[in-house]
Amino acid sequence: MAETNIIGRSSHIRGRITGTADLEIAGLVEGTVEISGELVVAAEGRIAANLNARRLVVRGAVKGDLSATEAIVLEEGARVVGDVRAPRIAIAPGALLRGYVQTGQQAAAAPRAKAQPAAAAAPRTTNNVRPTAAAAPARPAPAASTAATARPAAAQAAAPSRSTPARTAPAPAPVSSNHTGPARTTSGNAGGGGAKAGPPAPTVPVLKKGARGTLQKRR
Amino acid sequence: MASTIIGAGITIEGEITTDDEVVVQGTVRGKLTAKDAVTIESGAVVEADIVGGPLAVAGSVTGNIHSSDRVDLQPGARVVGNVKATRITIADGAQFKGNVDMDV
Amino acid sequence: MARSTTRPSSDLGQARIGSGARVHGRIAGDGDLTIEGRVEGDIFLRGELTVDASGSVEAETVEADEITVSGTLQGELRVKGAVRALSGARVRGNVQGGSFALEDGAEFSGRVELDFELPAELEEAQPARGRR
Repeated sequence: MAETNIIGRSSHIRGRITGTADLEIAGLVEGTVEISGELVVAAEGRIAANLNARRLVVRGAVKGDLSATEAIVLEEGARVVGDVRAPRIAIAPGALLRGYVQTGQQAAAAPRAKAQPAAAAAPRTTNNVRPTAAAAPARPAPAASTAATARPAAAQAAAPSRSTPARTAPAPAPVSSNHTGPARTTSGNAGGGGAKAGPPAPTVPVLKKGARGTLQKRR
Repeated sequence: MASTIIGAGITIEGEITTDDEVVVQGTVRGKLTAKDAVTIESGAVVEADIVGGPLAVAGSVTGNIHSSDRVDLQPGARVVGNVKATRITIADGAQFKGNVDMDV
Repeated sequence: MARSTTRPSSDLGQARIGSGARVHGRIAGDGDLTIEGRVEGDIFLRGELTVDASGSVEAETVEADEITVSGTLQGELRVKGAVRALSGARVRGNVQGGSFALEDGAEFSGRVELDFELPAELEEAQPARGRR
């Protein structure tokens, strides 16, 4: 039941994105992304994050390690600096890469597993994986919360999820309450005040250092 | 099996062993052992012992030749080394220095 | 009878280590080379190197203008142009080249170092700490 979520080109997310659905990223994402569906980095996507998915297709720019449980495809135009590990890997002649490449079963790492390290990242992401109620520390910063696109700032509190008007619905996240179900959430959420409760708290990064305003809304 | 062809621009230093035919147009230094025909073309330089089936030489060989069949030195060939074969022909214009052993 | 030294023209310019051949030593030179047999030793070629499905190369260093592999290739690959690993290939070693392509079904393990720049926005950005 995976549906595809999209992070649009003018979005900027900093934090962790997790979920079970498919996700396409055309914006700027910094942090970590762990999806158990298919993750597509569109040609305009710019990612500074380690990516984990069941299947990963890259057409844009990624600085981070790529890992998939099924396959990774780097298409023409992809620019990747980081390691690439999956049982099956295909790299088109026009894809550019600097990093370690490893095909084969032992190469794949379960997406979830990675969570921990990221969690460690600490200040930034508070939540670690689990929906944990948030406590969301954070928030305030508009920052990106993962996935959430847009809104959080606006939302600031209150239930972020939801909707985001726009397209950018990121991630599967429960937040939106959607069907997608439980999974981890990521979504944005505003974390902060309110919201939490119902759907698992989204992971909200606590941005300490000069959090950048993020999430530009998509026009 | 496709035969082995060591092209004119190629140099191999080491040992070559093959079950099939070999044609040398380039340079071989070391040892060449074939079970089938060996052809050393004009311009080839072989500084190696050669073991093979029938051998035709038009290039330069410095080393011993041991053939299970016949050895033909063609015009322009230059061979320095001992030859052991069942038959041998040395054409007019071929240069040869070494012993010939036709006792097989 | 030993063959004459005139070769069929289709063979001219074709350098090949046949499937029944084994080379233990260094191969160097100009021109394209196809390997269908076994090579243990370094290769320094000014030309295109093709390792066929039946071929295997075990080297410390392989240098060529282009490399296309369907068989087994192990070594540090330094290539001016394209390195292509086709389905069924098994390649181990680091690759420095102009371009790199891996077909689905090829096995590969090693570093790939192509020369290019990431978009400026990513240059300073870092993935979350604790990678992997």
